Amino acid sequence: MLGAPLLEEASGIGALGIDLTSLLVYLINFTVLGLILYFMAYKRIIGMLDSRSERIRESLEEADRVRKESEEQQESMQKALDDGRQEGQRVLAEAREAAERYREQQAEQARAESEQIVSRAREEIKQERDAALESVRAEFAVLAVSAAEKIIKRSLDADAQQDLIDEVISESNAKQEQD
Amino acid sequence: MVKLVLVLMLILAVVGILLGAIGSALLGNEYFVPVPEVHLAPQEVFTVGSFVITNTLLSAWLTTLVILLLFGLGTRKMRFVPGRLQGFLEFLIEALFGFVKGVAGEKYARKWFPLLATIFLFVAFNAWMALLPFYPTVGFTKDGADHITTHLFRSAGTDINMPLALAVIAFLFIEIWGFRVHGIGYLKEFIRIGNPIQMFIGLIELISHFIRLVSFTFRLFGNMLAGEIVLFMMTFLTIIITPVVFYGLEILVGGVQALVFMGLTLVFAVMAVATHGEHNHEDSEAESH
Repeated sequence: MLGAPLLEEASGIGALGIDLTSLLVYLINFTVLGLILYFMAYKRIIGMLDSRSERIRESLEEADRVRKESEEQQESMQKALDDGRQEGQRVLAEAREAAERYREQQAEQARAESEQIVSRAREEIKQERDAALESVRAEFAVLAVSAAEKIIKRSLDADAQQDLIDEVISESNAKQEQD
Repeated sequence: MVKLVLVLMLILAVVGILLGAIGSALLGNEYFVPVPEVHLAPQEVFTVGSFVITNTLLSAWLTTLVILLLFGLGTRKMRFVPGRLQGFLEFLIEALFGFVKGVAGEKYARKWFPLLATIFLFVAFNAWMALLPFYPTVGFTKDGADHITTHLFRSAGTDINMPLALAVIAFLFIEIWGFRVHGIGYLKEFIRIGNPIQMFIGLIELISHFIRLVSFTFRLFGNMLAGEIVLFMMTFLTIIITPVVFYGLEILVGGVQALVFMGLTLVFAVMAVATHGEHNHEDSEAESH
């Protein structure tokens, strides 16, 4: 700004200092700067920006894919869980049904067995009672004859005694049936 | 604390005005700083054979070196998770690339970006570097002068050869892409046979393409030179504090001019590669930018 200019003070356009050599030097300077920057900076920085945006894009896609997979897995797990729950409920219901059936079967069997035991016991009791009655009846007849002998002070022969016993038994049976 | 700083700044601003040319004129003192002399042409620093090395050329080389150093350090070890410098450069490149892609589309953005980004970086860094303190303070004295007569560095944007060189590059870039996409049919834009009005429009179109060389050159040259003159004059008039405001303004102007140069080159290139039927649309798009 201060001091003498490059060119002699000129008037008009000459005062601007247009110089072909300087112009060429600026052109070369700019071209060299542009080329160096292109290979040293622009290419690498834009490459880095591209790779970073590509990485971000891939990461977003990956995240999206993982999210979808996660959702699918969750759905699958939920489905498996539901299926398992349904299966469990079904098995439980079947087990309950089987247990109920088994319980009824066992109860039925126990009832049949008890009825059988009671019936057998009744039969045995009846047989025991019949035998006891028969024995008592025989004893009673002997006692009766013996008593009668003693009462009437006479003895009867064997055939008459047997007839008498039968008669007493018959009467006794008739009386018992009447009871 | 803030109030104290403000008061101090106000006191310094008043002192600066009193010591500056305004105060000197009011108080009748000698000028504290030398009267600036405005020269349009760059100044010779030394010569190599018959080739004159100017302070603007030195500045351009210094700027080139700084840009290369910055990008060299920032991209030396590219890491997927970037450090501060790499992050800053990536932010810068991504912003510029996004701008180019937004106007030209992905296809052309990748091809055009290196040239357009270099235009932006070279213009912006040239303007911003010129705001560093050693630009107006380091230089030589000649002919027994008591002040610097030749500065070692001067913003390359104030040398018309630099904006002109960029304008030539932008012009060639635009026209080459026009021919590359449309072939010889690109000339139909300028040579319209038949209707006299169309012929006239073609001629106007042809002239407008060449006029771009002038507009590109003088827009940048004028803004850079005016900025430098404003800074020099404000420093001469008020010395301290007040010029800081204009330094801030020049930071903005440097960025804006770089963006305008790059943006216009981009828009003109888009217009050149667009089919003729799309011109109206592209024109309106260009105007909107």
